[in-house]
Amino acid sequence: MGKLALEHTLQGHKGRIWGVSWHPKGNAFASCGEDKTIRIWSLSGSTWTTKTILSDGHKRTIREISWSPCGQYLTSASFDGTTAIWSKTSGEFECIATLEGHENEVKSVSWSHSGSLLATCSRDKSVWIWELAGDDEFDCAAVLNSHTQDVKRVVWHPKKEILASASYDNTIKMYAENAADNDWYSTATLESHTSTVWSIDFDADGERLVSCSDDKTLKIWRAYPPGNEEGIFTPDNETVWKCVCTISGEHSRVIYDVSWCKKTGLIATACGDDAIRIFKEDANSQKNEPTFSMITSEDKAHLQDVNAVKWNPSQEGQLISCSDDGTIKLWKFIE
Amino acid sequence: MSRFSGALQLTDLDDFITPSQECVKPVPIEKTKSKTGAKITIQGDGYYEETETGKQKLQKVEITLQDCLACSGCITSAEGVLITQQSQEELLRVLQENKALKTQNASEGVRTIVVTISPQPVISLAQRYNLKPEEAAKHLSGYFRSLGADYVLNTKIADDLALLECRNEFVERFRDSKSGDAAGVTPMPMLSSSCPGWVCYAEKTHGNFILPYIATTRSPQQIMGVLVKQWLARKLDCAAERIYHVTVMPCYDKKLEASREDFYSDANNSRDVDCVITSIEIEQMLISADTPLHTYTPSEIDWPWHSGTPEASVWAHEFSTSGGYSDHVFKYAAKELFDENVEVLEYKNLRNPDFREITLQHDGQVVLKFAIANGFRNIQNLVQKLKRGKAPYDFVEVMACPSGCINGGAQVRPPTGVPIHELNQQLEELYKQLPKSKPENEDTRQIYNKFFDGAHTDKAKMLLHTSYHAVEKMNTALNIKW
Repeated sequence: MGKLALEHTLQGHKGRIWGVSWHPKGNAFASCGEDKTIRIWSLSGSTWTTKTILSDGHKRTIREISWSPCGQYLTSASFDGTTAIWSKTSGEFECIATLEGHENEVKSVSWSHSGSLLATCSRDKSVWIWELAGDDEFDCAAVLNSHTQDVKRVVWHPKKEILASASYDNTIKMYAENAADNDWYSTATLESHTSTVWSIDFDADGERLVSCSDDKTLKIWRAYPPGNEEGIFTPDNETVWKCVCTISGEHSRVIYDVSWCKKTGLIATACGDDAIRIFKEDANSQKNEPTFSMITSEDKAHLQDVNAVKWNPSQEGQLISCSDDGTIKLWKFIE
Repeated sequence: MSRFSGALQLTDLDDFITPSQECVKPVPIEKTKSKTGAKITIQGDGYYEETETGKQKLQKVEITLQDCLACSGCITSAEGVLITQQSQEELLRVLQENKALKTQNASEGVRTIVVTISPQPVISLAQRYNLKPEEAAKHLSGYFRSLGADYVLNTKIADDLALLECRNEFVERFRDSKSGDAAGVTPMPMLSSSCPGWVCYAEKTHGNFILPYIATTRSPQQIMGVLVKQWLARKLDCAAERIYHVTVMPCYDKKLEASREDFYSDANNSRDVDCVITSIEIEQMLISADTPLHTYTPSEIDWPWHSGTPEASVWAHEFSTSGGYSDHVFKYAAKELFDENVEVLEYKNLRNPDFREITLQHDGQVVLKFAIANGFRNIQNLVQKLKRGKAPYDFVEVMACPSGCINGGAQVRPPTGVPIHELNQQLEELYKQLPKSKPENEDTRQIYNKFFDGAHTDKAKMLLHTSYHAVEKMNTALNIKW
């Protein structure tokens, strides 16, 4: 067993806080919420303080923010239907582009590992892929209408140009580009959850995916590419994703977010029962039938719903969370 | 899978509300006086209102396509609406009723059935049934005659007229824009208007910003509607409302276009196009009748216009498989405006093959820049460029489907295992081999002179052009979302 030690409780936003995102270096992070502002925090001495407030980019709630892999750009997805790109080229953050096109609330935004592609998704059921076209310009590379309901989250594969999306239609979909016509298409539909899939995250290699749902379960999915040694059939020569593990009975309410630590392999969850839980793969876990155990449950992590959890990409064991209670908390996981 | 183009699939649906519930069209309810409030019970087969005399079934709300077009709410629920108004079932019902009336020798109520076939569905069905396009057109003609069609036409003359009108409109607008006389200037680039998916998306999403850019020239389908309901009606001495006009089209969006109020004549009590049927629906009709296309006796395409029947039944227009707007207007404008003869069209692909541009050099200067933007992603890029004032074009051919009309949303699907782009390549190949129509010909000349009273007349303006209407976003309490 381990425990989560609370290091800092940060306040600043008015109202609920929807998202937090670590700067790729792990020494700063951004937060956003229903007060339509983005705050950028960094450590000065022993405390985290707001360095910048970006307040004039959006007309409605900001649902999620995401740093580009180079740390130069910050993007924000808002219920006003737009996605803003912020750049720090001249020292100060300024909005250099606003991506329009979604019919209504943008729910999530994510950068590809190379930093050349951006994905957004919306209540309009579509997933859009944007391509950096130089000079702070973004071209729309694809509009994907595969989901039948609200799309909650988009996340890029950590090493390849493969995109995953999670939806209110209970499924997760994978997308790749078709070299023949430069268009994107859905390569796989991951069906097993019985209610909304709220969030997804890849492991460090991108061979596995974790998903969390309104059905109170976590699921682990494994990629079986064409020619896999298990002999799993791959129709149309596309990688098949199979659910290899379901973790149920640990969460008492909807699970809103999940973060798979790329350094330690630990999985953290943000739950509607105000708790943060940590899962660890068992030592004798099998490749095709992995097993995970809950090693910590911080029951009253927040006073209300926990909306997001994110592992620090460079500082092992450091976790950040935010909540409807208007606070951001920094935790240290101690084994 | 939806058969609408991607542009129309973006909707406005809530997590928790189904489209039918979100539909905000006000419905008149006939109120009966009662002392207490009405009690409504729900049973498996509908809603019932409890009254003193017992339960009465409540009427179902009926929403027409026109209601959907005028509303900024959901778009795809219109797909359900289509089933009642523009479907194979409806078509077959009308044709069977008409056949029955004919056999009874009834003078009342018999309608003249006119079917107009566009080239893309012929190509699609030719590929599906392994026929040459020319053969497929003739079998298709035979099929419609077996169902009771009195006339089977193709869209050639309307395609020709659309290109002539479009190129004249372009040259006029181009000259206006360079004249410096601000009055009456319409903004450039001119955007093509024949794709109803694009027009509907523009009206619903970008409204008054984008509409002035769009050409006012009617699409071939709607030009054909005018020719059939006015020119042909006069020739046959038959009231427009007594003609039932069916068009065969490559996409569902054409059904929405035919339903626009702009194409309904109160005076004639008649719609220019009564029913749009698509390639995939024809395939389904043939499958359910268990008769492949080639089993129908081939018959010629009718040619009621002035000159003799042309040598082919299916015609291509230039190279783009969507009617050749950019190609044709480019060549014409080069000649008309700069006295340059363009023989070969050399497009340059931009970020993807569905966004390509072509320029004309004259005296060492780029004087014309045209583009073809197909597919929703490229519509987005075009609109965003326009918004930023960074669209350096004079004309853009815009189609909602990737690869244009040959890949219309309601073309026959590829067999399992065949990727869609492979099928599209085959269809494009077939299209390339078709004979090419020249819009300036005896038939179009005669139509202008004898029907439109000339080429730039008010009548031509009125019947060959249309207008667009921005749909205002609704801001009702029901639309507030969390």
